[in-house]
This record gives sequence, structure tokens and C-alpha cells, in this order.
Amino acid sequence: MALDSEAELKPTPGERLRAFSRRKDVSQTIQLGIAFTTLFVVLGIWVYPHWMPAVHSKEMHSGRMIMTIFTVLSAPICGLVLSVAMRAFLNMHRGDNPPPDQEVSDKSNTPAILAWCIGSGVFVVTAIVIGLLAYNSDENAALADSPSALTVDVTGAQWAWSFYYPAQGIHTHTLDLPSGQPVVFNVVSSDVNHSFWPVQLGIKVDANRIVTTTADARPTILGPIDIRCAELCGLNHAYMETSGAVVSSSDFTSWVNSIKATGGVQQ
Amino acid sequence: METIQTPKGQSIFSAVATIVLGVVVVAGVGVALHHSSADPQPKEYATINGTIVGPDGKTYPHAYLTDGVYPDPINSKAHGNCATCDGGHPTWPSYGPYTHFVLPSHSYVTITLMVYDSGVSLNTPYFGNVVGTIGGTATYDGVVKSNLDPTSIEHTWTLHGLPTSTQDSLFVNVPLPLNTDSEMKAYNADPTKLPVGHKVTFSFITGGKGEYVWNCEYPCGDTTYQGFGAVMGSATGYMSGKVSVI
Repeated sequence: MALDSEAELKPTPGERLRAFSRRKDVSQTIQLGIAFTTLFVVLGIWVYPHWMPAVHSKEMHSGRMIMTIFTVLSAPICGLVLSVAMRAFLNMHRGDNPPPDQEVSDKSNTPAILAWCIGSGVFVVTAIVIGLLAYNSDENAALADSPSALTVDVTGAQWAWSFYYPAQGIHTHTLDLPSGQPVVFNVVSSDVNHSFWPVQLGIKVDANRIVTTTADARPTILGPIDIRCAELCGLNHAYMETSGAVVSSSDFTSWVNSIKATGGVQQ
Repeated sequence: METIQTPKGQSIFSAVATIVLGVVVVAGVGVALHHSSADPQPKEYATINGTIVGPDGKTYPHAYLTDGVYPDPINSKAHGNCATCDGGHPTWPSYGPYTHFVLPSHSYVTITLMVYDSGVSLNTPYFGNVVGTIGGTATYDGVVKSNLDPTSIEHTWTLHGLPTSTQDSLFVNVPLPLNTDSEMKAYNADPTKLPVGHKVTFSFITGGKGEYVWNCEYPCGDTTYQGFGAVMGSATGYMSGKVSVI
């Protein structure tokens, strides 16, 4: 009989959860969290993409899609953390009857800990799987495209980029690429480490002095490209930029011919 | 249990004060960094003398500028015109007497450089090409050339900027010929005796207003960073500087 009485007195996890969520401070935090989550989802899908660099390649498209998915997935976590922080920051708990310090320090909430760990774990694993799938897809596509790829040798030097197109036999200081043709970049540095970052192509790779690194891209959409150094490389690192463009095949041919006409060195 | 509660007005004041203090600190650091990054070198203003027709058929104001490249900062006078004016680095090569050039916008600019230093090979052979000048050439002691042997270079004058900003793109690279060991013999014995040197002249057309930088692409620093340590990587005013198009 004593055991039955204890069982009747001890609330079930469901009852504890309902009682917990009915508390004024908890319900307010949840409502605030839902509001923030909704805001971040809206921003992640409709606003943030407009703040990202333009998409001029399939790799950049994948990168932007992953950023959007990750933003949406992380929105509930960010919303919950922000709602708790805001309540604490604005002292919204003031006036409640906080439990004694001793009770707080001794109390543990196993369901909450489990929910947090499992939720975080699912989020992280989901993010990893999505990222690996996108990366693998890009790599396989680049491998399949490589026989028809345009090769560009990229050299980083303090503090300027130069490019050599071996098949075309031209040296340039800007980077033009034909739309629809995959490209393979062979990247080196002639001094310190740099990082080759054609922003709108969605790729970035280290430029080392001894080892040649490679990166693939599939330019698809016409438009300008900003090429930057993404590795702090010295005095004029901030000025180690140049420009380029994804152009039509005919414009690319004209561009190559115009450089050949000046001795193979772009003016 | 007795609880101590902060008045709501005081809490909001503390929050606002914290934010304001943060903004002040960040702004202060920004102002200090901007001030410290200001170029201390004197400016050389290009002199406009007449007009000239460019390769595109348009008539441009013709601006002239003269500078030099020296094996040491005392001869370059880039850090003052005295026997000890070396900017604290007496062994560094240096352009001079100016390293910050001010050019007129939409103009045909002709620059003459006198070169008095020795050299060897470029790290990047590409910079042995003359790029971005009128006709893709420069005049070396009266001879027009479009490139130099990248294994016989003294220094380069390589101008570039930020193409992503609103200013016009401007890229100019001119390799400079070295003075041979025999030409440097008298200088090596007595640093006050410069070699005869080489005269390099080139022209290019400026776009709109903008701020650019130039630097040498010859590895004339110390042995660190493939020759890009010391003078190449530590300070402007020797082998790098600014170009303001106004």
C-alpha cells in the first residue's frame, strides 16, 4: 500500500512537463523563443541570401543553399537561447518567487538534459550529413567534368594575383571564365601563404609556395567575380584583390584573342 | 529567503551605459588605427604640362612625375635630406625622394624612374612583363621594350588597387633593369658614389578619383619570406607606397 501511495503522489514525466510549461516564466520564454525562431527562419530564407555574394557557379549555389538550411535548422536553438538571455537581460524574472539556492543547486532535470542533448545531436548530425552530401556531389561532378575543364594556373605573390591559361597561352592579371565550361585552378604562391578566393564562384583554396593545390568550379551564370586573398599575408594584404567575370564562350574567345594580339600578356 | 532586487530603471540605465561604452571603445580603436595607418611620407604631385592625344583618340592633360630607386634610403632622400636620414633602416633599398604620388584623374601620366640598385631574379616571372602602360611598353635608356628578362631585374613598380570598390581599376607593372656588379663597384666601395643608373619612362591613363597602392615585386627584403621580409613586408615608404588619383 505504501508503494501505491508513492506512485500516486509522484507525477509522471508528462505531468511534470505540463506543469513546467504552465509556469508563467516558462510559457513566456517559450512564446518569446517561438517568435525569435520564426523571425530567424524568415530572415534565413528570404533576407540573408540577398546579403550573400551573387551566385555565378554551381559550387556557390550549393554553398548558399547549405547556409540557408543551416540557418533554418539553427533558428530554434538561437531563438531559445536569445529568449532566455532577453528575459535575464530585462530582468523579467523579477517578482517571481525563486527557489532557495540550495534547492536549485541540487535539482536536476533529466528529461530536459536528454532533450537538449538529443536535439543538439540530431541538429549536428543533420548538418554534417547535408554538408558532406553537398561536398561529395560537387566533387563527383567536378571529377566527371574534368576532361573538358579549362585549366588556369593561379599564382599569388605579395600582393597581386596573376593567371596563366596554358591551353590559350596567355598571362593575365584578371580572371575571365567561360560560362558552362568547368574550370580547374592550379594554385601556388611565390612567397608566403595566400588563399585564392574567387568569391562568387563559392570556392577558396590555400596558395602555398611548395605544394600546388587544386580547386574546381563550374561557372554557370554570367557576371563579375571578385578575387581576394583570404589569408593574412602582410603589409598590403588588404589590396591583394583583382577582378574577373564569367562571360559567354564567344566573349571569352574574343578576350583571349585580344590578349594574344598583344603578345600573350594582358594589358 | 530575502532577495535583493535591482530597480528596473537602474537596470535599463546599466544596459544602455554598457552599450554606449562598447560603442565608444570600438570607435576609439577604429580612430586610433586609422590615425596610425596614415601615410607619413611626403607627397609628390604630378606636374601637368600641356595635352596629349591618347591611343583612344581622346585628348588628355599630360602629367609628369619623376622618382628614383636607390640601394639605400640616404641616397633616396625618402626620409629626409641629410647624411643620417635613413628612417632607421640604413641598409634597406628605397624609392625616393617620394613614395606617395598624387596624380590627376582622367589624365595621361608619364613617369620617369632613375634606377641605381642591383638585383637578380624575380620570384614570379610574370612581373618581368610591362603591363598596363600605353602600348604595353616602357622605354629603357631610350629603347622601347615590352618585357625584361625576369632573371635580371632590379625592382618593379607595380600599381594596383581595390577593384571591388567604386573606383576605377588601375593595374600597372613595370620591371626595372638592374645595375651590374661592375656598375655597382664604385658604390660598394663608397656609398656616396651612385652608378650612372638607368632611365625608365612609361605612361598610362588614369581613371576617376581613387586610392591605390604600389609595391616592388622583386624580393629585395631579407632572407625571410622568400625575400619579402624586412623592407618588403614591414613598412611603406621604402619599396611600397600610395598613389592618390584626385
